[in-house]
Amino acid sequence: MNTMNRRVFLKTVGVAGAMALNSGAARGETESGNDPLAVLVDTTRCAGCRNCELVCAESNGLPEPDVMDESVFDEERKPSETQWSIVNRYETDVGEFFVKKQCMHCVQPACTAACLTKAMFKTSEGPVIWRESKCMGCRFCMISCPFDVPKFEYNSPVPKIQKCQLCWERLQEGERPACVENCPADALTFGKRSELIAEGRRRIYADPGDYVDHIYGEHEVGGTGWLYLAAVPFEQLGFRADLGNVAYPRLTEDFLYGVPIVLTLWPAFLLALARATKQEPHIPNVEA
Amino acid sequence: MEASGYVDIFATKGIEYLLVIGFLLALVLFWRLLTRSTPRARGVGATAGPAPWFSLASDRFYHQGHTWAVPEGRDVVRVGMDDFAQKLLGQPRSVNLPRVGEIVEQGEKALGVEIGTKSVGLLSPVGGRVLDVNEEILRTPRLINEDPYGKGWLFKVSVPRMAPTLKNLLSGKLAWTWMENTVVSLRGRMAGELGPVIQDGGLPVSGFAKELSPEQWDEIAREFLLTE
Amino acid sequence: MSDPRFVPATMAREARSFLRFLLGELKPKGKLLTPFNVISLPVILLGAALLVVRFARGLGSITNLSQDYPWGLWIGFDVITGVAFAGGAYCITFMVYILRMEKYHSIVRVTVLNGLLAYIFYAGALLLDLGRPWNVINPVIGNSFGVSSVLFLVAWHFLLYMIAEFIEFSPAVAEWLGWKRIRRILGALTLGAVIFGITLSTLHQSGLGALYMMAKGKVHPLWYSEFIPILFFVSSIFAGLSMVIFEGTISHRVFRSQLGPAQRLSHDSIVLGLARICAGTMFVYLFLHALVFLHGRRWEFLDTSLGAWYLLEMIGFVLLPLLLFTRAVRTVSLPLVRVAAVITLVGIIMNRLNVSVIAFKWYEAVRYVPSWMEIVVTLAVVFAEIWAFRWIVNRMPVLRPSPAWAEEPRLAETAHLKLVKEA
Repeated sequence: MNTMNRRVFLKTVGVAGAMALNSGAARGETESGNDPLAVLVDTTRCAGCRNCELVCAESNGLPEPDVMDESVFDEERKPSETQWSIVNRYETDVGEFFVKKQCMHCVQPACTAACLTKAMFKTSEGPVIWRESKCMGCRFCMISCPFDVPKFEYNSPVPKIQKCQLCWERLQEGERPACVENCPADALTFGKRSELIAEGRRRIYADPGDYVDHIYGEHEVGGTGWLYLAAVPFEQLGFRADLGNVAYPRLTEDFLYGVPIVLTLWPAFLLALARATKQEPHIPNVEA
Repeated sequence: MEASGYVDIFATKGIEYLLVIGFLLALVLFWRLLTRSTPRARGVGATAGPAPWFSLASDRFYHQGHTWAVPEGRDVVRVGMDDFAQKLLGQPRSVNLPRVGEIVEQGEKALGVEIGTKSVGLLSPVGGRVLDVNEEILRTPRLINEDPYGKGWLFKVSVPRMAPTLKNLLSGKLAWTWMENTVVSLRGRMAGELGPVIQDGGLPVSGFAKELSPEQWDEIAREFLLTE
Repeated sequence: MSDPRFVPATMAREARSFLRFLLGELKPKGKLLTPFNVISLPVILLGAALLVVRFARGLGSITNLSQDYPWGLWIGFDVITGVAFAGGAYCITFMVYILRMEKYHSIVRVTVLNGLLAYIFYAGALLLDLGRPWNVINPVIGNSFGVSSVLFLVAWHFLLYMIAEFIEFSPAVAEWLGWKRIRRILGALTLGAVIFGITLSTLHQSGLGALYMMAKGKVHPLWYSEFIPILFFVSSIFAGLSMVIFEGTISHRVFRSQLGPAQRLSHDSIVLGLARICAGTMFVYLFLHALVFLHGRRWEFLDTSLGAWYLLEMIGFVLLPLLLFTRAVRTVSLPLVRVAAVITLVGIIMNRLNVSVIAFKWYEAVRYVPSWMEIVVTLAVVFAEIWAFRWIVNRMPVLRPSPAWAEEPRLAETAHLKLVKEA
């Protein structure tokens, strides 16, 4: 009994200690919202009806696209300053697939770290929103986003940043995002990120022949809120495979962590140096 | 899709350390290339020349107008022009010294030399009453060129306040640096051409102001002697 | 001794004469129809007109910025390159006030003035680029401090640095206005402002590089590395000093009448000294680049057109001016120093534009090219800064000596500088 208790005790302490260290408290971080709201996109189910584009525009006061016009599929589109979400068509060896693209609502977003006025804001529930009252229009978020998501209204004297807000206002009222609510093919699933990853894994294991064994967004850039399943390698569906698994804010971490150190060391060193080089006025010796 | 597997993130570290060692060695060599070797004790001049261009007497106090002062006794100062000035001007036809009893001011024009048809002034390094002038150079002006720090002295001044007067002058290391800077300015005007000004023996031509500008040598001289 | 009954009268009289003095100073000095004025004034006016359009109709109306290229000439050149060129101020103040290299004392004021104006105009050009500039006070007044952002740091440092530079320069203003007591107080603040300025400069020179850390994958691997901040900082040293050489050559010609003969002569050895420092710094910079080259396995990218462009920048515009500076120092050739300085400046422009524009999203089919209107506005900003510089130098003791009452306590090294009576 004694050995069992001792082992349990050590294990508990060890796990607790490891958790404390891993929690990033030592690095001056704080966590909020461990399990953000997210969306799982199953590209094997998407039929390219573009209903999501339509309801997104309706819901957010944007110009409604002509979803009957199939010629848009001839080119690979990106979201624009008038369209937060678009669907692209990709021809692959296995067949043609439709992929919905929009803001990825990263777990640790580059845009939020980049924004110096906190206009780009990661809510504790998960969605990354843009707050008009704070934005100065510096466009640093656009430089930093690995997916080139934020779009800027260059032709307006009062320009806004345009990107998917994960229907933040609808979420406040307990509703689901408009695109998820209105997808007839059940390609979009909304829920907590951990549950969606579990669901994604379940689908892959259940039908391994239908899916590539990878959930895009599970680890890319430290994890994103929009997760994708596909039947073909993701590069063939217009996804960048070279982004790495490091959350983008970590790329400026070393520099920013060094700033207080420089602010401390430099003045002390310079002051000491100025004192050390101080010279007294010199009067030449005069021979009598 | 990232390939998972071992990535040696320190793969280039070994070469980097070698590069750093190489850099440190190269830095020492480059440093020596950039900083000129210190000139010998008596003179200042070209980096690669065998002999120094202009000599400085080590016990003197120099005015930026290229005149020197040396105390003799409690309140007497002997004054002359330095090696740079005499080489700049060449052999004077005649020298106009201040009269005994005249008051001279530190930094004001006190004497003149005539060379050819033009005349150029020089500044007095000290202020006070002129006690004595060197009669020898009135008869033999070339003494200035032959021995600017000895027999070519110009006049003596009674200086009431020695210490503050000397405090304003350059001596020792400062004089050294100032002469180096003068050489830099001179070389700046030579536009990279050493030939006309420096003889084969590696020493400046006497009266090299004329080599820099035959027509306007006196203006150049005044620029260096600060009597514009 | 003023009779207390007449104090209001004397104060009023002083205020009136002061006002007369100020109005007198506003009048133009010197000729109006110089070639520079004839070229720069229309450009400034056209730039102002274009800016009206820009604010009325949005950034897209006069720029070629796009969703793929959110930052263009104004950020890449005016802000990022302009700030690198202003690096002379923190270097020269470090050399003179911390290391006590008195040889360079005579150029401190003009360099600090140039630094101050550079930040006001070029970092100020940042305001022209903002889409919603009325919100620029947000990160300043504490409404929302985005402390995770490198740009937050850069913006704050610009602001604080301008204040530090102004404090460093303010003794000249006090001397111009004849405010003796204030002049003494300001003189005492100099060392603190200098230390503050050097610390801030270190951080924001490197910070401008750190802005691109999150643009991994967008900046070509030949220019992207985790070391961009350090490389930007080191290159700002020789960029700033080369600009001091370049601008000093021009100022000493334009404002020749303000300089005494001793000052004119000593400038040559100042320029030579700066050339030596540039050479040493560029030597170190090249080796840092060699380290980064190895670390990032950059040899894999050399046989592309951008690879050739990279080699051109490093060899033609860093290595070459390094060799020229070295040769110029050894043969005491001032014209060669000036040539090397100009090549260095071009190299810095290349480097900064490469990181921010040319090698940024090099894979896009349609690349960013600045519109002629962006170029005009950039030139207008540069000319306006030169106008401000000229106005100040013509009135305040920047190149000409300070008034006698403002003498600083003399060390032996500087005593003789006052010796020759200026005309």
